[in-house]
Amino acid sequence: MGTLTIGVFSSLIGSMNLDFAVKLSEAAADKGHNVNLWLSGNATILAQKGQKEFLDYSYLIEKIKSLQEKGVQVGACEACSEGRGIHAGDVIEDITFIGMDWYVAKAAKSDRVLHIGVE
Amino acid sequence: MSNKILFVVQRPPYKSENPKLAITHAMSCYTADMHIDEEVEPTLAYVGDGVLNCIKDQKAEEIYGIVSTDQHLKIQLTGDMKILVCKEDMERLGIQEERLVDGRDLGADMDLNVVTFEEILKEMDEGCDHLMFF
Amino acid sequence: MKLGVFYSELRGNHDVLFRLKAEKLGIFLVSNGIYHAIIKEKGEPSPVLQKQGADYYVLSEDLQTRGFSTDEVDSNVKVVTYSDIADHIMNDYDKLAWL
Repeated sequence: MGTLTIGVFSSLIGSMNLDFAVKLSEAAADKGHNVNLWLSGNATILAQKGQKEFLDYSYLIEKIKSLQEKGVQVGACEACSEGRGIHAGDVIEDITFIGMDWYVAKAAKSDRVLHIGVE
Repeated sequence: MSNKILFVVQRPPYKSENPKLAITHAMSCYTADMHIDEEVEPTLAYVGDGVLNCIKDQKAEEIYGIVSTDQHLKIQLTGDMKILVCKEDMERLGIQEERLVDGRDLGADMDLNVVTFEEILKEMDEGCDHLMFF
Repeated sequence: MKLGVFYSELRGNHDVLFRLKAEKLGIFLVSNGIYHAIIKEKGEPSPVLQKQGADYYVLSEDLQTRGFSTDEVDSNVKVVTYSDIADHIMNDYDKLAWL
């Protein structure tokens, strides 16, 4: 089994790229791969506590918890989050709140990196 | 073993935060050894409309109060980061080399490397372990 | 290089895609990229499908999300699931790019 690191920079709402990243993370984890998921730029919104479920909006919190139970490591960019008013205490439990060097280090040691660097 | 990541920017600056995040993520490679005890070596490459990030004398700081992309690039040049800019895309967009950022006023020894797309492909193929497109 | 490219736009900048070269090239049509596997604008297949030697894949879930079925997909494109994509990227391609 290998290690896959996925980085996403797209917004939770207004883009389906985060949905894609979460579903692909799940598929890879279900096959026994180690998966890291990095949230940066507008994707850091996904790390914030207190999201309310509306049927018209992507709602991925429960999926994130499920991924974490499968061993997926989720990191959120500290600077990108703080810039958006999301502080350490606002972040969902067990999401690593950390600098970009965490992501590039994970990426460097991964077999595959899928970096979704668009909105 | 060195771990190499090629950051490829293909979109113009400012409309999206992501072209600038390419630079900050590339910078962060220099501290990645805090996590893995190994060095991670970044290279930046500007292709397509992304070459527009490399125009000098950007005034984002004066006008919008954010560090301009050319300032970020200057700082990377002082740190000897390898930065490639696609020659064919510069020609297509009518950009002369003298319009590109340089870091000489900050004491940089390196300039941006204007190279063919073929050379950037070679970097993608042989010069890195992973790709990150922005 | 064995390169897997993810393409998610209908009207994106195809220019970089057209110039990419690899010993093995796979193009994964996802999100709005799936339209390239379906739409024949003015009767012509999408130029995105004209990359010589490339293997094309389209994500089944994103086809269905947009109201299309697998039997409408261009014959040069293989329909895949998330599970298939996980296998392809871990087994068949050593580098990945989301354009």
